[in-house]
Amino acid sequence: MRVTISLLALCAAAIAPLAHAQQVDTSAAEALMKKSGCLKCHSVSAKKEGPPFKETAAKYKGKADAEKALVTHLTTNPKIKVDGKEELHDALKTKNPADVLNVARYILSR
Amino acid sequence: MPKSRILRLAAAALGLLVIVGAVMAAGAAGLAWTNTEGFCIGCHEMRDNVYAEFKGTIHDTNRSGVRAVCSDCHVPREPIPMLKRKVAATFELWGHLTGKIDTKEKFEKHRYELAKNVWTTMIRNDSHECRNCHKSESMSSELQSEKARARHAKAKAEGLTCIQCHFGIAHKEPDGPGPRELKIVK
Repeated sequence: MRVTISLLALCAAAIAPLAHAQQVDTSAAEALMKKSGCLKCHSVSAKKEGPPFKETAAKYKGKADAEKALVTHLTTNPKIKVDGKEELHDALKTKNPADVLNVARYILSR
Repeated sequence: MPKSRILRLAAAALGLLVIVGAVMAAGAAGLAWTNTEGFCIGCHEMRDNVYAEFKGTIHDTNRSGVRAVCSDCHVPREPIPMLKRKVAATFELWGHLTGKIDTKEKFEKHRYELAKNVWTTMIRNDSHECRNCHKSESMSSELQSEKARARHAKAKAEGLTCIQCHFGIAHKEPDGPGPRELKIVK
C-alpha cells in the first residue's frame, strides 16, 4: 500500500510540469498577445526591444511565484527600462483574469 | 521595288508586330496572374501553412480594409527584379514537385530556413516590399505613439531596416535567431 502511494506521488510529481503546460491555450494566448501589441517588442526566441519569452521563462524557471509575478507585470503597467530610458510596460488588452493567466502560462512554458 | 513586294513586307512587319504584341500581352497577363492570391494559395503547402497563419493578421484584415496579398510582400513591383523573382520561383516549383514541404512536419522542419531566406532578401534590399506601401517620408511621427517614435528614431540611427523589428507579424516566428541576430552583409 505504502509503495503504491509512493508511486502515485512520484507519478503526480513527474506529470505536474506537463499538466502546467497542458493548461495553456496557445491559440488564445497568441491572439491576445497580437491584439495587445506584445509582439512589437517581444518574440518567442529572437531579439527585439524586450526580452524573448524563452529568456523570461528561463528567468522564472522553478520559481513558485512565477505566474503571479508575470500576471502583475502584464496587468499593472510597471515601469521598465528600454535602452536606459524608463517607460511604462503596456498591459494586456483584456479584463479577464483567466486570459491573463493563460498568457503568463504561455510565456512560462516556452 | 515593286509595289506588291512593299505591301507584302508591310503586311509581314504588321503581322510580326501583332504576334510580338500578343506574346507580350500574354506574358504580362501571365505574370499578373502569378501575382494573385488565388495563384499563390493554389498549392496546399502555402494554403495550409503560411496563408493560414496570415489570415486574421493586420495585413489581412484591418479597420481600413487595405490589404496586402502574398505578392505585395514577396514579389518586387519593378519589371526586372520581378522577372528575377519569378525565375527564382520556378526553382521553388522543384520543391513542390519533389514534396519538400508537403506535410506539416516537413514544413516545420524547413520553417527556419524559409524564413531566413526571406529575412536575408529583405535585409539586403532594405525591406523594399514593405516600403512599397509604408513610405518612411510619409510617416507622420506626430500620429505615432511615443514608443513607436522612439523605436523608429533608434532604428534609423542604427541603420536597421523594417524586417529587423517587424518580423513574425504575418507568419509564425520560427525558432532560432531573428533577423537582428543574423550576420547578413547588406
